[in-house]
Amino acid sequence: MTKKAWIFPVLCLALSLASFAQSSSSVSTPSRVSVEPVSTVVVKPGQNSEVEFTLHVQQGFHINSNQPTIPELKPTELHFSPPSELIIARLQYPAGSLLSFPFDPDSKLSVYSGDVTVKAKVIAQSSATPGPYTVHGELMYQACDNNSCYPPKKLPVDFTVKVAKDVRPRAHGNAQSPHIH
Amino acid sequence: MNRTIGFVGLVVVVVAGLLFVGKSASKRGAMASTGGHLSVGNYKGSVAPDFELKVLGQPDKSMKLSELRGKGVLVNFWATWCEPCKLEMPWFVELQKQYGPQGLQIVGVAMDDTDEKTIGEFAKKMGVNYPILMGTEKVADQYGGVDGLPTSFFVDRSGKVVDRAMGLVSESVIVDNIKKALGGEGTASLDKDKDKNKAKDKSNMASL
Repeated sequence: MTKKAWIFPVLCLALSLASFAQSSSSVSTPSRVSVEPVSTVVVKPGQNSEVEFTLHVQQGFHINSNQPTIPELKPTELHFSPPSELIIARLQYPAGSLLSFPFDPDSKLSVYSGDVTVKAKVIAQSSATPGPYTVHGELMYQACDNNSCYPPKKLPVDFTVKVAKDVRPRAHGNAQSPHIH
Repeated sequence: MNRTIGFVGLVVVVVAGLLFVGKSASKRGAMASTGGHLSVGNYKGSVAPDFELKVLGQPDKSMKLSELRGKGVLVNFWATWCEPCKLEMPWFVELQKQYGPQGLQIVGVAMDDTDEKTIGEFAKKMGVNYPILMGTEKVADQYGGVDGLPTSFFVDRSGKVVDRAMGLVSESVIVDNIKKALGGEGTASLDKDKDKNKAKDKSNMASL
């Protein structure tokens, strides 16, 4: 074996070791919720398009709804930081199911379990340049099972918005006004 | 050139090896019941890791677990967002009254990321009559990485963990563990209390 020949396997081994060491170092707590990847949203400048976020709550767990019945409970919320060309608006959370749990049979909590769909509108500014944009977001939730609760968590929710070319002919005069004067 | 690549390769191997050995050692340390960390699986009989945490509502005052040596201690990890924890708190209030004279000290460790005022108001609303300490991730890690709440550790008078309760358990289980932590002292009166608590469990925990 030439000198060069042994360098490659050694480097591979070293990188594998380093990778294993790093992965074993992170004490990860299991995620009780996952978010389905969002398909690319297509929207024209000045218009809006609906987007849906599907959350899967692991069987045996529940998360608080967006409007918990008790103020101390952490609501499920989606937050977005869109680029300035886009606006994420009118988030519509489903109503939670009012359920009693063994840990407190006398009161009802507003919770989500199973699959949960949150809807929102993606609005492209009239001035938005056509092209792809990445919207970064975060799902905040707090899960419990029948006798334990787990610390509030954040999950990244990123998706792509494609601002399409607006091929409509522009009206003469006041282009901003949809009214006929 | 070959010598340079060989040297870089060697450095990478050494660094990776050190990382690997270091992480493996730290993992072993976390699993063992020594060095201030409780084992996840084999915690009984281990010395409860000492901690010093800020006392809620008492600026500049902190409490060390080791200060309570000689008492039976119930260390309860909880949070305001934890509904099962809320159910236990009135039990703890009563148990502190009942067994305090026999040497029990209940200590709540709040794992909230919210402000002290909110936690204080919550504790007041629940009528808490035992100290609430402001928990940290470090202390949770020392106790095996407390994830689900409530989680309670029962520590005997010598500072050793006699048992642990993860999640909500019935009040009679808590009483049994308190008895173990107190080392069987005052057993006659505790047995009378146990019957009373079992009856209460039936109404509170019917569906568990």
